[in-house]
Amino acid sequence: MAMAVDNAFNGVAVSDYSTSTNNSNDDFHDLFDSIMSIDALPYSPQVVEIDGGTNCNSPSNPAEGREEEEEEFRSLRLYHLLMAVADAMFGDHKSRELAQVILIRLNELVSTSHGTNLERITAYYAQAFQDLLDCAAVSGGGPNKPHHLHRDDHSPTDVLAAFQLLQEMSPYVKFGHFTANQAILEAVADDRRVHIVDYNIMEGIQWASLMQALVSRKDSPPAPHLRITAISRGPSSRRWIGTVQETGRRLVAFAASIGQPFSFHQCKLDSDESFRPSGLKLVRGEALVVNCVLHLPHFSNTSPESIASFLAGAKTLNPRLVTLVEEEIEHGPTIDGDYKVQFLDSLERYSAIYDSLEAGIPMKNRARGLVEKVFLGPRISATLRRIEQPQRAATAAEENCLWGERLEKMGLKAAAISFANHCQARLLVDLFNDGYRVEELGSNKLVLGWKSKRLLSVSIWASSSLSSSSSSSDSE
Amino acid sequence: MSLHHKPSNPLNSIFLPPSPYQKDIFSFPLCLKYFSPSKMTIEDHILDWLADSVPFFSSPFPDDSYNSSSINCYQWWDENQDIGQDLINGCLSSSPTTVSTKPPNTSTSHHLTPSDLTKKRKAPDDTVHKPSQTQQNQRKNQNNQSRNGADKSSGAVAGVTVMKKSVGNKRNSSKATGNNNNNGNNKEGRWAEQLLNPCANAIIKGDATRVHHLLCVLQELASPTGDANHRLAAYGLRALAHYLSSNSSCSSSSTLAPVTFASTDPRFFQRSLIKFHEVSPWFAFPNNIANSSILHILSEEPNRSRNLHILDIGVSHGVQWPTLLEALTRRSGGPPPLIRLTVIAPTVEHDQNAETPFSIGPPGDNISSRLLSFAKSLNINLQINRLDSLSLLSLNAQVIGKFPDEILIVCAQFRLHQLKHYAPDERFEFLQNLRKIEPKAVILSENNMACSCTNCGNFDTGFTRKVEYLWRFLDSTSSAFKGRESEERKLMEGEAAKALRNEGEMNEEMEKWCERMRNAGFARKLFGEDTIDTARASMRRYDNNWEMRVEEKDGCVGLWWKGQPVSFCSFWKLGMKSNGG
Repeated sequence: MAMAVDNAFNGVAVSDYSTSTNNSNDDFHDLFDSIMSIDALPYSPQVVEIDGGTNCNSPSNPAEGREEEEEEFRSLRLYHLLMAVADAMFGDHKSRELAQVILIRLNELVSTSHGTNLERITAYYAQAFQDLLDCAAVSGGGPNKPHHLHRDDHSPTDVLAAFQLLQEMSPYVKFGHFTANQAILEAVADDRRVHIVDYNIMEGIQWASLMQALVSRKDSPPAPHLRITAISRGPSSRRWIGTVQETGRRLVAFAASIGQPFSFHQCKLDSDESFRPSGLKLVRGEALVVNCVLHLPHFSNTSPESIASFLAGAKTLNPRLVTLVEEEIEHGPTIDGDYKVQFLDSLERYSAIYDSLEAGIPMKNRARGLVEKVFLGPRISATLRRIEQPQRAATAAEENCLWGERLEKMGLKAAAISFANHCQARLLVDLFNDGYRVEELGSNKLVLGWKSKRLLSVSIWASSSLSSSSSSSDSE
Repeated sequence: MSLHHKPSNPLNSIFLPPSPYQKDIFSFPLCLKYFSPSKMTIEDHILDWLADSVPFFSSPFPDDSYNSSSINCYQWWDENQDIGQDLINGCLSSSPTTVSTKPPNTSTSHHLTPSDLTKKRKAPDDTVHKPSQTQQNQRKNQNNQSRNGADKSSGAVAGVTVMKKSVGNKRNSSKATGNNNNNGNNKEGRWAEQLLNPCANAIIKGDATRVHHLLCVLQELASPTGDANHRLAAYGLRALAHYLSSNSSCSSSSTLAPVTFASTDPRFFQRSLIKFHEVSPWFAFPNNIANSSILHILSEEPNRSRNLHILDIGVSHGVQWPTLLEALTRRSGGPPPLIRLTVIAPTVEHDQNAETPFSIGPPGDNISSRLLSFAKSLNINLQINRLDSLSLLSLNAQVIGKFPDEILIVCAQFRLHQLKHYAPDERFEFLQNLRKIEPKAVILSENNMACSCTNCGNFDTGFTRKVEYLWRFLDSTSSAFKGRESEERKLMEGEAAKALRNEGEMNEEMEKWCERMRNAGFARKLFGEDTIDTARASMRRYDNNWEMRVEEKDGCVGLWWKGQPVSFCSFWKLGMKSNGG
């Protein structure tokens, strides 16, 4: 069975919150002592720690136990404050003022740049909540408002450094790319022409490894012609297009250097970030593959509406294969707007990610902070936006389900992940810390987890049964 | 006007050992007062007297920084409210030896700094989030009510401008700053109750997890020195914890009660009351109405030689009466030949949780001798009879020593709600007894709020109502002290907070009180026009969120804060005999 989750939040706080349902006032005993002495001590963050360490239940022994207890006490405090903000933001009785006051308190207690994992996570959550508050204050809560926050604009060198670290020290990047690529390779093994439509191409590193694999296939016909269409944002964000163009140049150069026949295209999203399939240039006889990576290291500043329109549009093209990398969110019933399941799930997930990074990259490494700043902070923001979304837009529960489930509802069929692919994923993950785990869910999904927490998954889908040959579409 | 030439200095010289140092301090503000463009009200003057009298109680002068500074500050109050406030804070936080005799323009800016540093750690605007200054400002505006006093930059600016303006302008400017308010029933700017009330509710439901969670959050946010919300959280948290611990076996030994009247030094207690009268109408307003009404009754009485007997069932601790005494000397024909003041002191329960807030003063507080001296100086024949262990229900004509020919006026303020109103209805019983004494008039002032007793609702309902009461007190008091911390403020708030855990604290709405009075055989008496006018005029000195409303139905006068009722004053004469048993 699942081993005990011992990341920062799970160990102390979450279990405490969800299991203690007994109705005994004695539970409050410790709390009273600290409450009753609230005036006796100058008001400062340290005060409560001291108090917590000296409460009547404390084991009268050594400093270590005491330190541990203080740590636990501190975790609990942060946990309660975070839950209270979430409640004030998402709960039945919303109060922006209360949320703001708690955030101010949190900012006094934690900082994104130092402290324990838990403290930094809390700080990123606080930041993300603050952004939500600020956004709502500015836009009056317009649901499609793009959240281009300044802190998402990092210097290219920072992004690169963080990306390299993430790539080398954790399996998060490669797991998604390798598993998706392997599935693509298997699906187009006999094709002469392959067309990949990539929703979120970023630096295109995934395709460099695919090209290498294509040209180095043994016992196969020469490498097929590969065409990649990168989906790019509308005219509003030029920087993005610039990046996509650079990525294209880099990929073209790389393909030329290894002798891979290759061409690169862009397809712009509409101004509302929705996807028009007619904007794609399709060629008869090409095997069409749709790739959608919605997890690390890819930025998450895409709106759910945009993703939904892309996936729905892609479906109409009858692609040979759809590869989807996404966060493995736990989604309880969201009909009544109960955010708690999702919120706790996200806390657990990010705690697990931080802990896993801690295992590979000690915090003293400056780049580690960059990983958090560049990749995780924005993801936490996105997570909170997603939790807030159904409440704001009232677009019903399906907003929060996994994209894979959405694909299934659209009529796509699960395509089996091969044994080889599964083995490759295990081999990859074995290169890293013991805590990482690979799990097969259904026939078409591999999940990467840290200890018992599922974090991200790759799932593969087909328009019809994969064995049927060369599905060709013929628009344009 | 004779009032203005009434020598305050002679008063001082009667009671005060002459000291050149002190004289110096007094003379400057008094000069200002004489040349003040504003027309002074009686009330102003008397408060000055009370302020003057503070040092009588003080230890040798330079040793006591509070007294030395407050003398100056109180004197300043009328002319330069803002500056006075700055001075107070400045003085309090400066060393005892710096006696502030400087003119205001040199002291304002310097004094802002120390108080700011110490008082404002919890004001949300201080720990600003960099990202969005504009949004921050928007929020600030929304929250201005609870925070306006804590805004250091605007405070400093206001202080400076006020000095240059006349009094009239100052009033306008204070209106402007106080007016971005939220009149009406909205809950903007109030977050503490959004933790406290759900917590009380979770307690009722037995949801230990949620209670624990909310208590933890409250503990993080509570601060007895923050803005009104932080304070409410602190007092509320304490009350909830108290409730929980008293309902379980575990009792906390480390209980540290907040400062209350009973636990403070008598001199400081007096000074705090006076200070509070100056800055908030919470008590000053009902006192004002009561005094004017007593004068009104006397003016209706053709026989000037009848004695006046006041039955004082209140919480003013004597602060109310010098004003009346002085006003009586200015009555044509002079004061009544004898004024008897019978004070029904609250019975000490030895259980702080059963005491009505503001009712019990510190041991050793002896206002009587001061009042007597003051009366003597005015050539008024005053007798004070303090009944110390008399239960309200055993009141009758004999115990209070009623004489047949005197004019007996009952002044009941904020005490009767302590009586049970249900099984048995002690309030009705008391009022019936009162009716039997046949006073000439009754002036009843009470909190105008829904009852919080266990017969009228669950623990959580009652708690929510008490929280509402305390919020109005803390919010208005924060404005009164302009958001600044002071010992006086702490004392008043600590005393008010007793209401939260006091199970005997059972308010009742104005309509019910009036109905009860009528049933007990009293009849409505209209407040005199002069009473209303004086009261209205007195409101000008306070924060603009205060409001006086004259109720059509019962002719009561209500005191409102930010569009919410706080208290009411009602005026009664004998009517038909009681229609109850």
